[in-house]
Amino acid sequence: MSKPKIGIFGLTSCAGDQLMILNCEDQLIDLANAVDIRDWEMAKTNNDEECELDIALVEGSVAQVRDIENLKKIRKRSKILVAIGTCAVWGGIPAMKNDVPRDIMLKEVYGDKVEFIESKAAQPLSSFVKVDYNLPGCPIEKDQFLQMMASFLNGDMPEILNFSVCSECKMKENICQIVYKQEVCCGPLTVAGCGARCPSHNVPCSGCHGPIEEVHYDAEAKMFQRKGIKPEEIIRKMQVYAAPAWMPEKLMEELQHESK
Amino acid sequence: MKVVKLPKSKVEEFLSSLQDFGEVIIPKEKTEHPGVYYFDVMENPSEMAWEYLRTIIPPKKYLHKPREVIFKFHKEQGYQEVIEDKETKRILFGLHPCDIHGIKILDVVFNRDYMDPYYYARRKNTVIIGLSCLPDEKCFCKSMNTDYVEDGFDLFLSDIGEDFLVAVGTSLGDDLVAERAHLFSEVEEEDRRKYLAFRKKRNESFRLELDISDLPYILDLEQKSPIWDELGKRCLTCGSCSMVCPTCYCFNVYDTLNLDAKSGQRIKQWDACLFKDYALVAGGHNFRENRAERVKNRYYHKQFRMVEQYGKPSCVGCGRCIDACPAGIDVVEVLTKVREGSYVTH
Repeated sequence: MSKPKIGIFGLTSCAGDQLMILNCEDQLIDLANAVDIRDWEMAKTNNDEECELDIALVEGSVAQVRDIENLKKIRKRSKILVAIGTCAVWGGIPAMKNDVPRDIMLKEVYGDKVEFIESKAAQPLSSFVKVDYNLPGCPIEKDQFLQMMASFLNGDMPEILNFSVCSECKMKENICQIVYKQEVCCGPLTVAGCGARCPSHNVPCSGCHGPIEEVHYDAEAKMFQRKGIKPEEIIRKMQVYAAPAWMPEKLMEELQHESK
Repeated sequence: MKVVKLPKSKVEEFLSSLQDFGEVIIPKEKTEHPGVYYFDVMENPSEMAWEYLRTIIPPKKYLHKPREVIFKFHKEQGYQEVIEDKETKRILFGLHPCDIHGIKILDVVFNRDYMDPYYYARRKNTVIIGLSCLPDEKCFCKSMNTDYVEDGFDLFLSDIGEDFLVAVGTSLGDDLVAERAHLFSEVEEEDRRKYLAFRKKRNESFRLELDISDLPYILDLEQKSPIWDELGKRCLTCGSCSMVCPTCYCFNVYDTLNLDAKSGQRIKQWDACLFKDYALVAGGHNFRENRAERVKNRYYHKQFRMVEQYGKPSCVGCGRCIDACPAGIDVVEVLTKVREGSYVTH
C-alpha cells in the first residue's frame, strides 16, 4: 500500500496544534515514515500546493474572509478532512467575542489604519465544509493525535470520545474543584481526552476540549447558582471554550427566570 | 472465629512486616488537601491514615483497574494475552467494612457465573485486612447492612483504644498472625468489654438512615415517577458517582492502534451507564437516549435489578457518590423521597 498523502494547514490560529504535531518528538520519525507529507507550510519547504491529499489536517477557525476560500480549496483536494484543535472544531477562543462587531474590535486591537485584515465572526470549519473527523483540544493532545493517525493508517476511523473530563479526573483521584473549592469548573461539560490535566494541577477545567455531545449547560449553571456564584461569572467562565455562541443569552434568560 | 490482640505500639512493626508478603496498599491523606484520602502503595508505615474516612476511589482500582491492556495483537504474529499485575502479591490494608462488602459484590459479578480472568488473576493474589471505623454524616452502611463483615477478609482489626482486636477470617490470615506470633497476645475479659463499648458507640454514631425494606417493590411501582425526570434535569451525567462507586463494574473495550499499521492493543476501561454512548448500539439505536433514563437506570440497577439477580442491592452505603456529586444529588435523599412520593426539585 502506498503511503497516504498528507497536508497540514492553519487558518486563523496560534499554530499551537501544528506545533503539538512537531512536539511528538519520539514518534515523529515513525510518523514521517508512515505517511507522505506533501504540504505543510509551517514545517517544510518544497510543498505541493495543488496535489490531491488522502488526509488534510486543518487547524484554526474561519475568522477571515480568505480562510473560507483556503478551506474550500483544501476540502476539494482531500479525501478525509480533519479539524484539529478546538478553534477548528468549535470556533474556540476567537469565537469568544463574536457578539462584538468586527469593525469595533479591529479598531480596538489594531487602531485606525488597518486594511490588510478582512475579519469576520469566527466559526468552526463545519460551518463551511464537510468535516470527517474532529480532534478537539487547545492544543490537541499528542496521544490522541497519534492514535487518530494510527487509526487512519489502519483504514479505520478513530473513536469519538463522548464523556466528560470528570471521569478522567476521578480516575486520577483529584479533589473535585466544584465540591471542595466551589470553583466554576467546566469539567462536567467538557469532553475527555486530556486526562484531566488542569484539575490534576489543582486548577479548574477551563473547557478547552469543547463540549460533550449532550452538554447540560443549564444544569451546570444552576448548580453554581445554588452555590452562590453569580450567573455572569458562570457564563464568563463557560464561554471561553466550552460554549457555542447562542449559550450566554439563552442561559441568562433561564437563570433570571429561575431566580424569580 | 479466632480473635487475637495486637497492641497499637506494635502495629507499625506489623505493617512493615507485611511487606515480606508483597505490596502493601494503605489509605493515605493528601498532604495538600487534609481530610482527603486515597489508597496507595505503602513506603513507610507512618504514612498510614488510621482515622481515615472514605477514599476518593475505592480499593476496586487494584482489582478492576480504571484502564488496562488486556491483549496485544500483531498482523503477522497473532495475539498475546496480557494480564497486568498478574504476579503481584498484594495486601489491601485498612479496608472499612463497606469496601470489603464492595469487593464481595465484585467477586460475585466477576467470578461467579462468568470468570473474568483479569479480575480473578489479581483477586487470588490479594489479601484483605480490614479496619474498624466510625461513620460521618455521609455513611449509611448500617442501613445497607454492610456495617459489619463476617467474611470477605483475611484479617480484620477493630480499634479498642490501646489495642486492636484482630479477627482471623481465613487460613492465610491465620498464617500471617502465626508468622508474627510475637506481636500478638490473647484476648482478655477487659478487651471484650472494650469491644462491646466500641461497638455500641459506633452503632449510635450513625446519622444518616435509609429505609431499604421492600425498596425494589417500591421502585417497581415508581417506574413512572416524575422524580426521574427531575433528576435528569439536575444530573450532569459526568459519571463521577460511577467512578467512585465500590460496586460499579461496567467497562468499555476498545482497540488502540500503533503507527506501524500492523499492531495494536485492546484496552479495557471503566465506563458508566450515565454516559450517552453507553447504550448506543450498531445501527445507531440508543436504548437510553435521554439523560433521565440513564440516571434512573443507575438507581434501578443498584437497588432493583441487583436484588433480583443476586439477592441484595449493590450499594454498600459508603457515601462516596454523595461526596462526589458536583450537583449535590444525594442517593439517600432521592430514595427516601421516592418512598414518600414527595420529591420536589430545587
